[in-house]
Amino acid sequence: MNDENIYLSLIKVFAPLSLISIGGGQSIVGDIHNQAVTVHHWLTQVQFIDAFAISRAAPGPGALLTTLIGWEVSGWKGAFVATMALFVPSSILTYLVIRIGHTKRNRPWYRWAQNGLAPVATGLILASSLIVLRATTGGLSTWLIAAVGAVFFTRFAKVHPIPILVLGGLIQIAVGYWL
Amino acid sequence: MDDLSDTATKLSTVAPPQARPQVSLLSLAIPFAKIGLTSFGGGLSAWVYREIVALRGWLSEDEFVGALTISQILPGPNIINLSMNIGYLMRGSVGGLVAILALLIPPILIALLMSAGLALVNEYVWLHQFMEGLAAAAMGLSASVGIRNVKNSFKSGLWPVALSGCVIIGVFFLQWPIVPVIFALAALGLLIARAKYRSGLKDQKPTAKKK
Repeated sequence: MNDENIYLSLIKVFAPLSLISIGGGQSIVGDIHNQAVTVHHWLTQVQFIDAFAISRAAPGPGALLTTLIGWEVSGWKGAFVATMALFVPSSILTYLVIRIGHTKRNRPWYRWAQNGLAPVATGLILASSLIVLRATTGGLSTWLIAAVGAVFFTRFAKVHPIPILVLGGLIQIAVGYWL
Repeated sequence: MDDLSDTATKLSTVAPPQARPQVSLLSLAIPFAKIGLTSFGGGLSAWVYREIVALRGWLSEDEFVGALTISQILPGPNIINLSMNIGYLMRGSVGGLVAILALLIPPILIALLMSAGLALVNEYVWLHQFMEGLAAAAMGLSASVGIRNVKNSFKSGLWPVALSGCVIIGVFFLQWPIVPVIFALAALGLLIARAKYRSGLKDQKPTAKKK
């Protein structure tokens, strides 16, 4: 496969996802996984989980997952192309809306449009978590860690996430060691 | 079309608000670079509020809420949209670009370094197990955002929960292609929300005049 095809398919995968990521980057993680691992074989399952974990443990937007996938596919250029493909379409749309709609934010349609789109974003966020979990090779323990984590973070929204995420990692090592 | 030209004239007649402080592009970049480097595990808009509104007073409370709403309603990472919006308010189009770049470039470099570091120590099984457990807990973290949304949406009736449920069934259980599913359900959501809004108006009309 020549290089141009790789960059083109990075754009083809990430640019449409950019425009449907209503509610934030989290909502498309499931589909990113599907495209990168199952459809295009850019990453193995293990590589994807590593990249996902890094994108959560590193500072900055979780959408940096895309940068890491591009990096795995073809180094700096891939990282650049994938990042641009994910950020530019949605950013242009936002830019246009900011320019045009700046005076409209108190209009009624703005509120009901938000009410109508929010449940779709919510469903996507939950489905994404389930999709990536279904694909992990870690077995039942990863489902349990995720379930307990979900309950915990729902109840204690203000707790700093990083210690809990690290704890999840340690539990998984322990499970691998003893079982 | 009317709306467009209306807005255009408003935009051209509204001079940059006097209350907003003049900020150089460099000092605009600093808080966003800071946010990009220090925000771990999500919840970035709280950081933006702290840096931009609480510490620097660049935007009023209302302006911030307006910017936040736009960034959530549109596709794309909320934090990127929000940063662009604020950058735009401060320094126009260039300001929007500077804010995004300042937010993204530092953490991108860190993530790539971590990734390269992980590749070097690739042979340790326990490291992958650790990452797997961390990722699982992070899945719980992001699911908690969805769960909280579901809890909140019950107050507008059952349809938002049903709609979220349809997304999960279509995308996760049936594994249908995500794009058509989302566009169809988003259209449905907009129709329902508009109908609800209109029937709400009818119900409220007698009392609306009192306010």
